[in-house]
Amino acid sequence: MRFALCPLRFNNMIIPPFDYKIPKALDEACRLLWQADGKAKIIAGGTDLVIGLRNGDLYPQSLIDITKIEELRKIEEKNGTVSIGAAVTHSEIASSPLLRKFGKILSEAASEIGSPQIRNLGTIGWNIINASPAADTIPPLMVLDAMAKVVSKEGEKEVPLGQLFKGAYQTSLKPYEILVQIKFQKPPSDMKSSFVRLARREAMAIARMSVAIALRMGQKKGLTEDIRISLGAVTPTPQRMSDVEAYLKGKYPDEELLKMASKKVSEAVIRRTGIRPSTSYKRPVVEALFIRAMRKALEE
Amino acid sequence: MKEVTIKFTLNGRRAKVDVPSHWTLLRLLREKLGLTGTKEGCGIGECGACTVLLDGMPVNACLVLVPKIEGREVETIEGLGSRESLHPLQKSFIDHGAVQCGFCTPGILMSSRALLENNPHPSREEVKEAISGHLCRCTGYQQIIEAIEAVGRKA
Repeated sequence: MRFALCPLRFNNMIIPPFDYKIPKALDEACRLLWQADGKAKIIAGGTDLVIGLRNGDLYPQSLIDITKIEELRKIEEKNGTVSIGAAVTHSEIASSPLLRKFGKILSEAASEIGSPQIRNLGTIGWNIINASPAADTIPPLMVLDAMAKVVSKEGEKEVPLGQLFKGAYQTSLKPYEILVQIKFQKPPSDMKSSFVRLARREAMAIARMSVAIALRMGQKKGLTEDIRISLGAVTPTPQRMSDVEAYLKGKYPDEELLKMASKKVSEAVIRRTGIRPSTSYKRPVVEALFIRAMRKALEE
Repeated sequence: MKEVTIKFTLNGRRAKVDVPSHWTLLRLLREKLGLTGTKEGCGIGECGACTVLLDGMPVNACLVLVPKIEGREVETIEGLGSRESLHPLQKSFIDHGAVQCGFCTPGILMSSRALLENNPHPSREEVKEAISGHLCRCTGYQQIIEAIEAVGRKA
């Protein structure tokens, strides 16, 4: 049925025909998108999109390539705010000296996505917009309290990242809106963080479960002053584990406490997703991964 | 269907092609330019057999649509060494038995070339990371890793 819609079938390399546009400026991109009336798709790296085109999942009339728009390609820090253009690749994020210093948890997560080839093309923008529950850049951005800047012919707006997600693979973005930038406050120099990821293979494997943690130990010896926790691949949309964060705050993170906290983490996940066939496996694994992430962050 | 004219650099030489805008770089290389050294293993960017260098960076040619390469540098396996004068990597692969059926080899050679350009003396871990986007069904990777490391040691 889908095949009938693809005009050219040839050797499994079918990609339906379309117009490929490469705007040089953001307002041009917005205009093109607006005019396309839902029949255009934004393309950056294309590592997911091209597969969708091949499968016949997508059949846009035109593609709008945003990788030549300067402001979408920048990594900057200004007045304490770190900003990353939506068309910045995972490789660039992984190797950026600025982000290794002021967004280490994001850099580390980006370095584990896919393979070198995928990271050289794939962008943070799509990782967010695709809204896969298993996206690797999202839990780190959640603990960094990132904001998303969205632009369209109607204007621009900034929303907390978590508010973009409506469901698995669903954002609240309208067809004529473009995610252009992600920003977050420069973390304090004494912030420790960790990102741990569980997957079937060491590379080229989607995350089955991930944990992102950022914390600060306070002046009062050994007590956690601030802690942020976000899990990946276990909930349909990203969230912060605010109950567990409140539980851990102001306390000394010994093994006993971590164990109690890990149970709260798994309970929070199950409250969100309900009991599923995989729960008896995932429950102890979530708990163990959380403890592993906590230890890794604390040891920094 | 729209044909576009793409100007780019191919293995050091200026190239100009007229090609449907929805073609992938892989299809352009193999079907229009006759450069069949780059292979299609999966077509979805998971096996690495189609790896070429775009501005010096390894990418999966099956995922790059041709308009993207406008004004950029593409290097394929055909640009690595020559029959008369093999690239050190090619020689090392032969010496270490890193080629069996050879299907994955062009892609891995391109990734290794990029690795050594940026990091002339990679550690074993760095070599493994550089080839982590490649599948080989024949060798078990050991000989491949040793072949790349050996070139790193000699340089």
